[in-house]
Amino acid sequence: MNMKTNKTPGWTLAGLILAFTSVSDSLAAVPSFSLAWSEYPSWSVFGVAHVQKLIDGREGRLGPIEKKWNVDIVLKEAEYDPCLTMYGSGQCDAVCITDMDVLNPSLTRPSVVILPTSTSFGADALIVPNTIKEVKQLRGRKVYGLAKSVSEYCFVRNLEVLGEQEKDYTFSNMDPGAAAVAMQQKQKEIDAIVVWNPFVLETLNKRKDAHVLFDSTKIPNEIIDTVAVAQSSLDKPGGREFACAVIDTFYAVNQRLTNPKSRDDTLIAIGEKFSHLDLASMKKVVQQTKFYGSPKEGTDILTGSDLKQIMTKVVDFCVKHEIVSSAPKIGYGSKPEAPGVALRFDPSYIRIVAQKK
Amino acid sequence: MIRRPIPKSLALALGLASVVFLLGAYTLLARWQHQKNPDDTTIPSWSQIRQGLVTAIEVNARTDERWLLEDAKASGARLFAGLIVGVAGALALGMLMGCFTPVEAWCNPPLSLLAKIPPTAALAVFFVLVGTEGEMYVTMIAFGILPTLAMTIFLAVKEFPEELQFKAYTLGASHAEVIWTIIFPHVLPKLIDAVRLVIGPAMVFLIAAEMLVGSVGFGYTIRLQSKLLNMGVVYPYLALLAAFGFAMDYALYQLQRKLCPWYEGHRS
Repeated sequence: MNMKTNKTPGWTLAGLILAFTSVSDSLAAVPSFSLAWSEYPSWSVFGVAHVQKLIDGREGRLGPIEKKWNVDIVLKEAEYDPCLTMYGSGQCDAVCITDMDVLNPSLTRPSVVILPTSTSFGADALIVPNTIKEVKQLRGRKVYGLAKSVSEYCFVRNLEVLGEQEKDYTFSNMDPGAAAVAMQQKQKEIDAIVVWNPFVLETLNKRKDAHVLFDSTKIPNEIIDTVAVAQSSLDKPGGREFACAVIDTFYAVNQRLTNPKSRDDTLIAIGEKFSHLDLASMKKVVQQTKFYGSPKEGTDILTGSDLKQIMTKVVDFCVKHEIVSSAPKIGYGSKPEAPGVALRFDPSYIRIVAQKK
Repeated sequence: MIRRPIPKSLALALGLASVVFLLGAYTLLARWQHQKNPDDTTIPSWSQIRQGLVTAIEVNARTDERWLLEDAKASGARLFAGLIVGVAGALALGMLMGCFTPVEAWCNPPLSLLAKIPPTAALAVFFVLVGTEGEMYVTMIAFGILPTLAMTIFLAVKEFPEELQFKAYTLGASHAEVIWTIIFPHVLPKLIDAVRLVIGPAMVFLIAAEMLVGSVGFGYTIRLQSKLLNMGVVYPYLALLAAFGFAMDYALYQLQRKLCPWYEGHRS
């Protein structure tokens, strides 16, 4: 008994060393790339993919999609702002980011939008009490929302659509969560807020005397949620496979969303950390945040002629509002098609994934 | 031998060398980052920091305002209002608790509990209770520093030598005279020490609140410019906060020396 137990550790140790060596050898051959993401319907998809074991977001562990592309995706979850800082400072290879916010980091770190994940179609809204029937009533009052963000963009663009002048209105900074609470409590002077989901739905649920005066449905496809990858990361060995694996993961979860059998479970998983909204509300959330859930929808957005016009508007707004110090040079297509640009919208990676399916 | 005193000149030289070391280390870090990416703005070079400072100081073409001036006015007003309310409340409460045992019995348990709650963790509660306007900043700072300050004052009153109290009564002093002419001067230097210690936390509470609901102020600009990766603007703001905290600390120390010259010897 004793002899047996004395011998076993030696063999076990040798076995473990062998196993560890072979595993580390195989992992050493697999390039590792990181993706920073924050809780948002079309970005929580990556967290869901990890939970549902499509990928393994931990470093050195591979899920089936990572094995398929021979690349290790390391997920880094953080609040949205720290994600932008992480990406801008080169601490991650890719980031979940809007078409508006990607302009700034691209000035210092050339970036490629490889995947449009969703667009706001009502998810950003101006909420006012029922006593306010038209936007002109907001003149002389403060409209609260997160300054220099998609909220302010949505507000200003809707004013333009309505033929109003931005200078006649005051947009005042407030965190969307705080603005939603203030509105729900009917705090004095908080008559109008521009927030995004889940705050839109939560506020409307809790204030029956409030309504949406306008929202992002009036500016379709202008606020685009994306995954952007640094050009330098794409140029590394395995960079292309990383981009493809990220896209493949996104569409794999979207397939579960379109399948009636797995739709509800996937929606609940997406909404688990996003908010405490129930399944019915989450169904509404994904209507207001329209997913580009198939390769066709993704390539249509990235190759459509609208995108250039939209980005011109977005860049003009960002320069005018000092969100970017200067307009980044934007290109459309693969690297040989649009060389030397700061920001590129590239559908080629989606096409590779679609062909390999 | 441990705790051996060193000459003042050596202490000064070592202090200066540590600052030079920090600046040198930062310079190397920035240079290393810019070798990796010459356009980087997240670890700005000294020239980028200088440009950021200019941006913060000069009149902004769009808003026609100087960021730094507007932010300093807003944050300064909120901080001082919060400090004044907090210190005045703590002084009143601490003195009452120290002098009157029923007040002590009534206030001690809740104050001990409240002192353990970080106000930044209770930010949402402050939004709910007092809204998101100026009162919120004042309330948050005041509630953040009041429990600790009140307990400090209370303990300082408790430490007051009883023989001095009896001597004052023997000489015919009233209760009010004992409190204000005998006990208060004893408490004052300890109050000033405590205020020096809470200035840092008060600034933390203010910046955290401004980051969430401010439309002007240091917290607002630091959050916004961090998001826009303009660290060249953020770093001068951080340096100014540090300088402000240091200046406040020094000013209070000098005030303590002026108002309570006897305490310097007592402390040493």
